[in-house]
Order: sequence, then C-alpha cells, then structure tokens
Amino acid sequence: MNPSNTLKMTIYTALFAALIAAGAFIAIPVGPVPIVLQNMFVLMAALVLGPRWGLAAILLYLFMGACGFPVFSGGSGGLGWLFGPTGGYLLGYIPAVAVTATLAKSLGHRPLTDALAMAVGSLLVYGAGVPWLKFATGMPWDKALALGLLPFIIGDLIKIAAGTWAAGMMRRIMDKTGA
Amino acid sequence: MDNGNAFAHHAGSSLLHELDVRCKLICISLMSLSLLKATIPALSGISLLLFMLMIHSGIHPWEVVKNLKYFLVLLVLIFISRTMTTGGEAMVTFMEITITKEGIFAGTMVVWRFFLVMISGILFTVTTRPSHVKVAVQWFLAPIPFIPEKRAGVMVSLFLRFLPLMVQKSRQVAMAQKSRCGHLEKNPVKRVKHLALPLLKNMVQSADGLALGMTCRGYTEDRTELALEPSGREIPVMIFSVFMSALILI
Repeated sequence: MNPSNTLKMTIYTALFAALIAAGAFIAIPVGPVPIVLQNMFVLMAALVLGPRWGLAAILLYLFMGACGFPVFSGGSGGLGWLFGPTGGYLLGYIPAVAVTATLAKSLGHRPLTDALAMAVGSLLVYGAGVPWLKFATGMPWDKALALGLLPFIIGDLIKIAAGTWAAGMMRRIMDKTGA
Repeated sequence: MDNGNAFAHHAGSSLLHELDVRCKLICISLMSLSLLKATIPALSGISLLLFMLMIHSGIHPWEVVKNLKYFLVLLVLIFISRTMTTGGEAMVTFMEITITKEGIFAGTMVVWRFFLVMISGILFTVTTRPSHVKVAVQWFLAPIPFIPEKRAGVMVSLFLRFLPLMVQKSRQVAMAQKSRCGHLEKNPVKRVKHLALPLLKNMVQSADGLALGMTCRGYTEDRTELALEPSGREIPVMIFSVFMSALILI
C-alpha cells in the first residue's frame, strides 16, 4: 500500500471508530443489554475496511472506551465496563470483525454474501457476549439467552439488511475517491 | 461553547486546560473505574467535583444539558427499563408491569454513573487539544512492542476530531431535511434513511478532504512532535486521584 493510501485508510479507520462510538448512543434499552446500532457499524467496518483496518478500528474504539471515554452503549466507558456484564459483547467484536471481513473478502463482496458474513459476525458477538453475561451475573442459561440474545434477533436482521446496503454504498463512494 | 458543540475543544486557561494530558488520561481512567463501585456519597462527591471543574473550565452546565438532550432521553429510557426489569418490592403495578423499589434505586445508580462518565468525557475533550492527545497516546504506547504508536496516536486524535464533526454534520443534515419538510414524513424508515444516507456521504467526503489536505501538506509519520509541558500541578492532582479512587474501590 502506498503512503497516500495508508493515510487514507488511517483516516477511514478513525472515522469508523467514531461511527461505532456514535452508534452506541443510538440505543433502545431492553433489560441490562440495550439494542444499539454500534454492532451494525462494527460489522460495516469489517465489510468496508477489510480485516486489517477493520480490526484497527475496533481496537481503537475499545482503547478509547477503556481509557474512560463515554463511547460504550448508553454513554458508559472505562476498563470496568469492558470487563463488566456486557464486556463479552465488546470483546466479541474483535473475532467478529476478523471473521466477517475475511469471509466477505473471500466470498467476493456481493450483497447476499456480505449479509451472510455479517450474520456470522453477529453470531460470534453473541457467542462471546451471552456466556460472559451468564457468568458475570450468575443468571441461569435460559435467563441469559432471554435477556442477552432473544430480544435482539429481529433488530439484528434489520441491522444486517441496513448494514449490507450502507456498506455497499460507502464502498462505492470510497472506490470513486480511489481509497 | 462555540457552535453549541459539547464535544469540541475550547481554548482556555483553567486548571484542566493547563494540566498535562497524560495526567488527565490517567485521572479519567481511574475515575471511570471508581464509578463502578461508587455508592451514593461517592457519586455525590464526584458530581460536585465535576460540576466545580465544569464551572472553572468555563463550560456552562445549561449548554451541556442542551447538547446532551438526546443522550438524556436515552438515560430516561434506561431508567424506565431498569425500574421495570429489576425484581424486588413492588411499588406500582399497571397492566402486568411492575415498578419496584429496587428497580428505581438500580435505575438511578446506573443513570447517575453513565451521566458522570459522559460529563468527565466532555470535560476532557473540551479542555484538551487533539494534537496533545495524539502525543500522549504515543507516549503511552511507545513501550508496547508491535504497535505503530505514531499511527495509533494519529487515529486517536482523528477520532476526537470526527466525533464533534459528526454531531455538527448531523445537525446540518437534519436542518436541511426540515427545510424541505422532511420532518413531516411519517414513515420512520424513510426518515432514518434520509438522515443517515447524506450523513454517511458527508462524513466520507470529509474524510477524503482531510486525507487530501494532509497529503498536500506533506504529512508523514516521522515528523517533529509537539512537546508536552507539565504545568507543575500534576503530582498533587495524581495523588488526589489515586487516593480518592483507592478510597472508593476499597
């Protein structure tokens, strides 16, 4: 990658980290885990930026949150929140971005394959988040699933559809500008 | 606050403006950690301290409230959700929804903590130049191997620049939509689409403009860095922060 492209990708990475942070404020609270647009932007970062820069965007976002900036869902922030009951969802973003980006890239960035990659990414987020929620709060599996997974399924399907479309649009704009 | 933006830096000469950014970063991290364990007296103390710092830094509390109106709505929703989902002694029961005493307490505590995290974040961004944050991040990351600390520093400073820009652009797009009677649109999906699409386009164009500007000015990662100058008040501030955090956490 030439230096100009590296600079451009650095800027896009920061932009996506900021979008993920902004998405955390657009939240619909249901029980202890609110429905947020944050995970849509996380998976969009994977689709638009690819594995390397997508991971950089999520690590930047988590770093800012760990430092205490109010960027986690509902305006929380700090190391304590990163390792609190919803910390599994946040740390689950790391494998989710890596897998979504790699899968979407290898399948050739078509709307359907992008949506499939996002669905796999969402499953990874819940795969890390729900067990973490169960062990952090000591609640039984059925309650952890009822509070940490089931209320979000329909919302996630809408987010996958919207995210696939928005990621495609952003890629087209970026292609025009030569990123 | 110029442009009514609570997330942008504002020049000043208060204690927070002059404090070394590395010290501020450590203090904000310690505070966010302490907030998790903070009880009502500790939260009251932190609230009073942040309010005094806000006044001292020239930030008007009313301006902050105005800027955070959407965030405050979110906090109200979080409070309502907590009061209804936390089990305990029932206070009011209406259409199979029970509001409990424990729920009201849990909701108040969560909302109070979230609000204080937000205020501390605003105090940091308002009193700190993004270029100083960049240098501080580089300083913290330099000892860690395999991390390009200079690039990470640039990303952090850009992240802090993009947040207020996003708020500003979303307001512009919302006003443009309103001037075209977009607020009369009843379909929520269309309303979100008409707001999100131009906003995302705007943000990508801003990012491109920034990249072009930086390239034209011959930006490289190996340039002379800004020197951070401690004000001399860092040690007492750090001792106070560590002591207060230890008191709350233990």
